[in-house]
Amino acid sequence: MTHMSSFGPPRYSGARQTLRGVNFICNAPQAQAVSLIGDFNGWNPDANPMRQQPDGAWLIMVELRHGHHRYAFWVDGQLTLDPRAQGITRNDQGQRVSLVPVS
Amino acid sequence: MKHISTAATNKSDKAAREVPASLIHPVVIYPFRQPADYSDLTALYDLVARLNADRARYARPVTVLDRKTHFAMEGNQAFRDFRHQTVAKHSDVLDAWCVDTCQMWYTGLGHAWEHGHSHDVYWLLPGDFNYGTPIGQQVLSRLNDLPEIIQELDQDFCVGEITTDHSNPKQLIDTYGTFAMLYNWFPAEAREIRQMTERPRSEFFAIRHAFLGEVLRDRWYAYEQTLVILLKAVLGKKKISRFSVGDLSDLPHGRESLAAAMQEVERTERVLRSFWRERNQHNRTWPVEYRALATQSSDIRRTAFTLLENLLK
Repeated sequence: MTHMSSFGPPRYSGARQTLRGVNFICNAPQAQAVSLIGDFNGWNPDANPMRQQPDGAWLIMVELRHGHHRYAFWVDGQLTLDPRAQGITRNDQGQRVSLVPVS
Repeated sequence: MKHISTAATNKSDKAAREVPASLIHPVVIYPFRQPADYSDLTALYDLVARLNADRARYARPVTVLDRKTHFAMEGNQAFRDFRHQTVAKHSDVLDAWCVDTCQMWYTGLGHAWEHGHSHDVYWLLPGDFNYGTPIGQQVLSRLNDLPEIIQELDQDFCVGEITTDHSNPKQLIDTYGTFAMLYNWFPAEAREIRQMTERPRSEFFAIRHAFLGEVLRDRWYAYEQTLVILLKAVLGKKKISRFSVGDLSDLPHGRESLAAAMQEVERTERVLRSFWRERNQHNRTWPVEYRALATQSSDIRRTAFTLLENLLK
């Protein structure tokens, strides 16, 4: 997952409405099914299934609005943190989840 | 109450919630020792100037300047010019006699808190980092994420984590000193803290108004404030986030020396001893437990000294 947040004073409402494509990559070559879950899809494992690449990693691009989003990978039914995430926080159930900033 | 709307894609999105308007209060800690080269501070105050220009989102920044720094430099024209033409232009300067950096934090955060409101967020910006380098510029571009995470995700405390290699003195001190001490005095809380961050003494953080108020009103320990705040956060079941701000280093002030490293380990030990005693002194058996933990703590300190002596040669 890659992203870059830049300080552009200030983040006005126009920027807040901008959708930005963000790639998420989950390295789980042995997994049967992987999906992206987060605030942006109601933590629904069916909303954003990821596609396995020839190298075994799972990939998805989603469009996210400006701001900070909580997310995790749903790997064969298990919530899994993104080891490359820029931040960590907790979801409403108190589970540790990953953080992505979108500028 | 005025409201602002944050990013959203659907109703379940946390960021979709209407959140009360809140201001971010930047608090800059001016370096205790004035660097000869102003490029790092110039880069920092370029950011401060932009914050100061955006009053819809930011309160007037505050700079805490130790009087000892001021008097050491008052005969220096470059310092006087920088203070008046840059620092004072873009921030309110709080001149304070401080025994150490933690007292500078206390002065700045306390002042900002007194001028803040219940939905506000306070953002600490340490001045003695290499912001003028290309990497430093990248880091500066990410620091604003810390208070924004608190606002957008309704957090109480967001700690910024700098990236260092394993042989960096900060890393070594935390590995063999800070966490070892924490696991001794507060094992359950230490596990919780380490789930969130590897930098429990980070100088980069943002904190919500109510939580800062709690921390300020409680006894303010003399050392390692971030560690104390993290402990209070875990014990008080506050919402904590961690965000990586990149690869930064302290300006060369001798912090890498063995003596300085041991001073930090000893300070950590002292604050954890005080904190533990304060929380447990109501138990009749506390002296017995304390004595056992203190013995172990001394062993940990001696081991840390041996390891740091070998590693920081």
